[in-house]
Amino acid sequence: MENIKEPRQRLSDEERIALVQNQKKMHQITLAMLTIAGVLVFFLLWQMGVSTGLLSSKYVASPLNIFNLFVVKLADPNPDGAVLGVNVLASLEVSLIGFFLAIIIGIPLGLFMGWYKGFDSFMRPIFEMVRPIPPVSWIPLTIVALGIGLKAKAFIVFFSAFVPCVINAYTGIKQTSPVLINVAKTCGASHFTIFWKIGIPSAMTMTFAGIRIALGNAWATLVAAEMLAASAGLGYMILMGRQFARPDIVLLGIVVIGAIGTLLTSILVMIENRMLGWKKL
Amino acid sequence: MEKIVIQQGIVLSESEKKEIRQNRIYKILPVVSIILLSALWLFASKEVLGFPSPAETWERFTQLLEKPIKALSLWGHIFVSLQRVFLALVLSWIIGISFGILLGWSEKCNALFGPVFTAFRAVPPLALIPLITIWFGTGEGPKVLLVFIGALMPVVVNTQAGMRNVNKLYLDVGTIFNATDRQKLFQIAIPSALDAIFAGVRTSASAAWMVVLAAEMLGAKAGVGFLIIRGMDSGDEALVLLSMICIGIVGAMLAVATQIAEGVLCPWTRKGSN
Amino acid sequence: MPVDEKRVKLRLENISQSYVVNNKVFDAVSNISLDVYDNEFLVILGPGHCGKSVLLNIIGGLEKPVEGSKYLDGEKLTGSDKRIGMVFQKLALMPWKTVMSNVEFGLQMASVEKTKRREIAQQYIDLVGLKGFEKSYPSQLSGGMKQRVGIARAYTNNPEILLMDEPFGQLDAQTRYAMQEEIQRVWYQQKRTIIFVTNNIEEAVYLGDRIVLLSKCPASVKQIYNIDLPRPRDTIEPKFLAIRKEISDNTDLAL
Repeated sequence: MENIKEPRQRLSDEERIALVQNQKKMHQITLAMLTIAGVLVFFLLWQMGVSTGLLSSKYVASPLNIFNLFVVKLADPNPDGAVLGVNVLASLEVSLIGFFLAIIIGIPLGLFMGWYKGFDSFMRPIFEMVRPIPPVSWIPLTIVALGIGLKAKAFIVFFSAFVPCVINAYTGIKQTSPVLINVAKTCGASHFTIFWKIGIPSAMTMTFAGIRIALGNAWATLVAAEMLAASAGLGYMILMGRQFARPDIVLLGIVVIGAIGTLLTSILVMIENRMLGWKKL
Repeated sequence: MEKIVIQQGIVLSESEKKEIRQNRIYKILPVVSIILLSALWLFASKEVLGFPSPAETWERFTQLLEKPIKALSLWGHIFVSLQRVFLALVLSWIIGISFGILLGWSEKCNALFGPVFTAFRAVPPLALIPLITIWFGTGEGPKVLLVFIGALMPVVVNTQAGMRNVNKLYLDVGTIFNATDRQKLFQIAIPSALDAIFAGVRTSASAAWMVVLAAEMLGAKAGVGFLIIRGMDSGDEALVLLSMICIGIVGAMLAVATQIAEGVLCPWTRKGSN
Repeated sequence: MPVDEKRVKLRLENISQSYVVNNKVFDAVSNISLDVYDNEFLVILGPGHCGKSVLLNIIGGLEKPVEGSKYLDGEKLTGSDKRIGMVFQKLALMPWKTVMSNVEFGLQMASVEKTKRREIAQQYIDLVGLKGFEKSYPSQLSGGMKQRVGIARAYTNNPEILLMDEPFGQLDAQTRYAMQEEIQRVWYQQKRTIIFVTNNIEEAVYLGDRIVLLSKCPASVKQIYNIDLPRPRDTIEPKFLAIRKEISDNTDLAL
């Protein structure tokens, strides 16, 4: 069989590298442009909807309005009684207290429960009974017991963040590879040392996932708690917005809530990458 | 040197005996903790003002079975809440799974729609309640809408993750057998993502339950969340505690139901004998 | 058995493959030209992790070579082709499908209608000795059984060339020997061209009509051996061992 050899131009190494890099760049640029397009179109539609009156300004505020209001509210305490900064701080304060308490108590609890069977048997029934009750429904009982105020809010936030911390720490340490445990045993490590040096590090990925969930929960529950029992904070601000029929305040509150939530999550992810960086290698 | 005890033909080593002793203790501990918990409850009802005792709570329960609140018995209220949940859940699954598949399969769609969606995701559904009440009032519709939004997020996120993590090897098998892109999507990618999709479904069920309660607590005339607020407003703490217990039980049952459904629809996730 | 008709089934010409990784060019396959004859059992033997699987992927159409071309029955090929089937090394059975469903997969992609699919798939399930396991899921099967499903699946589309990428690599030694005999039996019953990749010299000499020995990275053809021993081969027979030693001495060690 006679075959015609096709003349193929051989690319040099540098040319090939350049070609591949170019292709990658094109791909990334396309994606970036799509992203920007998506966001821009969204805002444009929104703004135009309000400007043309298609979306009644009784119900919706335009992006420009909101931005305006943001600037104004930095100094203006109307109509809910506090400037934006004060509300933000109030919300942050409560949520972070509850969140950190939940981590400090919840994670060790979960780790111990996962490792020491006796502890597990003891705590299990309490935990299983308490778990299916959504944090939101604790609010009225907490109000009954602790009244309206910082303590009640912090408790509810704590609770909502507590559960995922425990569950994830528990699951995380339970799936420690038995091979690793055996390695430690053959090196003569005590039960506690194995727990400390092998169990806990193995549990870190799941624990961090739990912390992320806990943060989301804490922030979300806080908003609910503020709407039901507070006199300051972003949730309260939104509620006031509704009271005074000011959709722009409501929307501003929502945007700020979302923004801070995202910010907190990003910080958490950064910390996680620092500590678990080895996973990505 | 191990001491051996012969007991009806069974030979036990020292460490085995220790294990048996330990296991006996483990069995008792849960009972101990429940007893402690009950004691705590009684203590709280005596010391904390207004905290209802177990007896009061039980009494309230039987009372509620006979005398309805706002024309609905306890079961009636539970049913109302569940109704809202189911409707919103099914909608969120249909729309959420489709959208999640789109985002996970097509990189371009992900770039286009992803960021806006992520921004929406950052807002806790509960924060949207005042906005939705301004727009739609406090009827049934807005409540279902709220639950829908709350349930939608986990479904989309999990579905998207499942689609992105399809094992390239399976897609290669498809290539070898000359599968079209459409075939690859429906016959390989989606089935492979089913367990992630179900994780999303499970999460959405518990999220939906949470949101429906919050929505009811902030303005409703029926439903379990309404019961709690009613109790709180009228100083009827036994009702509050009772409702909480009901909420917990129903929530747990929902979780179990979705887990069973997963076992039925995805039989391969049950571990085989290998 | 020596191949009677030396008809060329597959021809590879000047195949080269390289990758750009972290701004450096990495050569995997360097200028391989090869003729594969009809109905022969060709073994590609090479040190670990270099070029063997890449070469197979190129033949199967999963990758496009930087250079070179392939011809099936004289016809130039680009991309994957139904006439070339593949059995994968890493277990590529879809865990959510039953055995029957997995074996049917190729036929399903080719839009063969249901009863016909069942029939053909059942034929091959019986051929590999898995009758009775049609409704089991892959997680319930042993490693050897899973590979047999993979083989059955590859056969269903009636490929003219069957590629096998170290299919027994993940199995324990006992199962491996059993599977080697198994694959021979199946090949005898349904003769077709097989290109079999392995890094195990004994396996290569046991199974192959010809052995293509590859160098270490970047892979090129070091030498081609004709194995003229009658089947079934005895692995401790002097001639077998002699060939084995010859190949072993010639192999580049890869660390």
